Amino acid sequence: MKQGVVPDDLTRPFWEAANEHRLVIQSCVACKHLQHPPAPVCRVCGSDTVEWKEMSGRGTIYNYGVVHDCPIRLLQEDQPFNVAVVMLAEDPGIQMYSHLPGTPVDEVPVGAEVEVTFEATANGQMVPEWRVVGSSGEGGEQA
Amino acid sequence: MILISFDIDGTLTVGDPPGILPMEMVRAVKEQGCLVGSCSDRPISAQRAIWASHNIEVDFTVSKHMLPDVKAEFAADVYYHIGDREDLDRRPALEAGFEFLWPHEAVEMPWVEGT
Amino acid sequence: MTENAPASMYRTDEGMGLWEHRGKVAAVGVGHSPTARRWDGRAETCVGAISLIALRRAIEDAGVDPAEIDGLVMDPVTTTGAYWPKDKPVPPEVVGAFNSTDNPLDGIAGLSAEWILKNMPELTGIDFTMYGPGCMSNAICVAAQAVGDGLTHTCLVLKSWHNYEGRYYQGGANAGSDLPGTAALHALWGTPACYGTALQFAEYCRKYGKNHDMMAPFIENSRQNGLKFPEGYWASHRPEEITPEDYKAARWIAKPANLFDNDLPIMVSAAYLYTTAERARNMRQKPVYILNHAASNTRPRSLTPTLDEVEADTARTARKIYEGAGITAADLSFENMYDGFAQFHQFHIEGLGYRGMKFGEALDFYQTDISIHGPNPILPSGGNIGCGRSRFWMHTDSIQQIQERAGERQVTGVKPEIAVSGGPMPLGGRFTVWSATPD
Repeated sequence: MKQGVVPDDLTRPFWEAANEHRLVIQSCVACKHLQHPPAPVCRVCGSDTVEWKEMSGRGTIYNYGVVHDCPIRLLQEDQPFNVAVVMLAEDPGIQMYSHLPGTPVDEVPVGAEVEVTFEATANGQMVPEWRVVGSSGEGGEQA
Repeated sequence: MILISFDIDGTLTVGDPPGILPMEMVRAVKEQGCLVGSCSDRPISAQRAIWASHNIEVDFTVSKHMLPDVKAEFAADVYYHIGDREDLDRRPALEAGFEFLWPHEAVEMPWVEGT
Repeated sequence: MTENAPASMYRTDEGMGLWEHRGKVAAVGVGHSPTARRWDGRAETCVGAISLIALRRAIEDAGVDPAEIDGLVMDPVTTTGAYWPKDKPVPPEVVGAFNSTDNPLDGIAGLSAEWILKNMPELTGIDFTMYGPGCMSNAICVAAQAVGDGLTHTCLVLKSWHNYEGRYYQGGANAGSDLPGTAALHALWGTPACYGTALQFAEYCRKYGKNHDMMAPFIENSRQNGLKFPEGYWASHRPEEITPEDYKAARWIAKPANLFDNDLPIMVSAAYLYTTAERARNMRQKPVYILNHAASNTRPRSLTPTLDEVEADTARTARKIYEGAGITAADLSFENMYDGFAQFHQFHIEGLGYRGMKFGEALDFYQTDISIHGPNPILPSGGNIGCGRSRFWMHTDSIQQIQERAGERQVTGVKPEIAVSGGPMPLGGRFTVWSATPD
């Protein structure tokens, strides 16, 4: 079980959208640059006019590791578990982490398509997670 | 047959930090006819060196995650692992089908009654 | 009140040309404290106390009158990841053993320049103090620039670490039931500290057809070198080698990073004495001249650096290192880049083009003679893997190798003339070029 989340000012729109099963990412109004994690200003042009843009919820698996010694007490009973890095379809430079529910440990198909799903954390706050929808990746164990 | 796996650091007096179980106890357990060895985060070569320096011939020296390999290799009626960490000793020991003892419980050598 | 060094003191940009103080600043003294796995609660072993030991040893090593020292650059943050619990009383006997500051945890869970000066009455001439926060790699860049700029002429540089009971990073928020929203974007998935580097290594292996076992000779060599570093944790407490068999049998932390790809948090302190090249000539030790310092301020685009980002930045860092020092890769006698996590050492040295290495070639290089006795020494200090986590063994070793007083670690297959050391991470590191001569 993931720890609960207490939204703060910077991230509240992200978490509120997650509770509505929507994935939003911060976008600069001036230069259209997407950024995640969010920041008070655009990291490219410095504009302080940023908005939250809804994403399609599609992406691909860029990379992954298998956590065997987790520092978070609430997750230790789930060890070992996958932590993959997902690149968003709208912008592969934007990454999100995922435990890849449904994918066996260390059998992560790198490059495979994924779609967003939403999972409850310990305090009920929903968090974006990702599920493999195709089998187009490389697959196989870490070297 | 009883198999006893010892963690080192925080468990044996030679550990870093030192635990409460003296090497004499391990020697006594070995002399009782138990299968004995270490399961530790120390390099395997360092585990062997520790046992050699105390003239104790152990049956296995393995890394922390290898209790299932020990169980597969050695036939015993009961398997014990003694260690000082919940996440690195107790939980994996129980998952591997071992009985688990904290060092202060092992001082009493509770397996003796069962022999 | 001591301030952090301004960004302008780091050489972060490409195209800055030769460093304006190239060869005009030198390291002349080294001092190390004893190491310990964790603080035992005694006043004489707290982080402040071991810092005083290191500083006094550096002064003694340089043969300098303490009254002549006019500068102190240090890192006020000393945690290895261990924090003083909010509800735990501060031991009065420890606080009372020193001249304290307004912060009762000063000298126990952190370290101010004010605390040092209050407890080293022999330092009567200090009129310049500055923080180079992060690690020794930062502090020595600041000190080199400060001496070059004339802000101080004889400057102590200090980095210290404290470590307490408990498993690494398993207290505080990680033991709690919830997280603030911003931190949660990274931390909800329970990744240990080495996860990001493990990801880069995984991509590296896929891209170049390498595997984890190929790291074994590097780990073995690092520990062998570290066991020749008498001040190191492993040499002084647990002289254990890591054989290839040991390495391959270790448990995973975040696959593909295992236990021995990670370093061991310890308590330790080190200090150096920096001065002008002119003053260095009259001091006890052979001066080791600084040809350049360089910095990376690159941030990843998103949550974690990609291999492309890492490779681009290590190459950029190397260009800055060589440009400011006026050297090329061919001038390096040896390298002492950071290793704590072991799996990014290859990124550093591939970026440097050490011994003509290109991206994807370091793990093959590790299968050749990389010992201190061969023509291509890799990390002769042993680094964090060989000595415990300090992030400064590589600097001490570079100084001592060039002074030809590295003892059993002394490189014999090359003449120690020019070296580079630095870190920590490929993105965001600080680097120094050392030389036996000023030009």
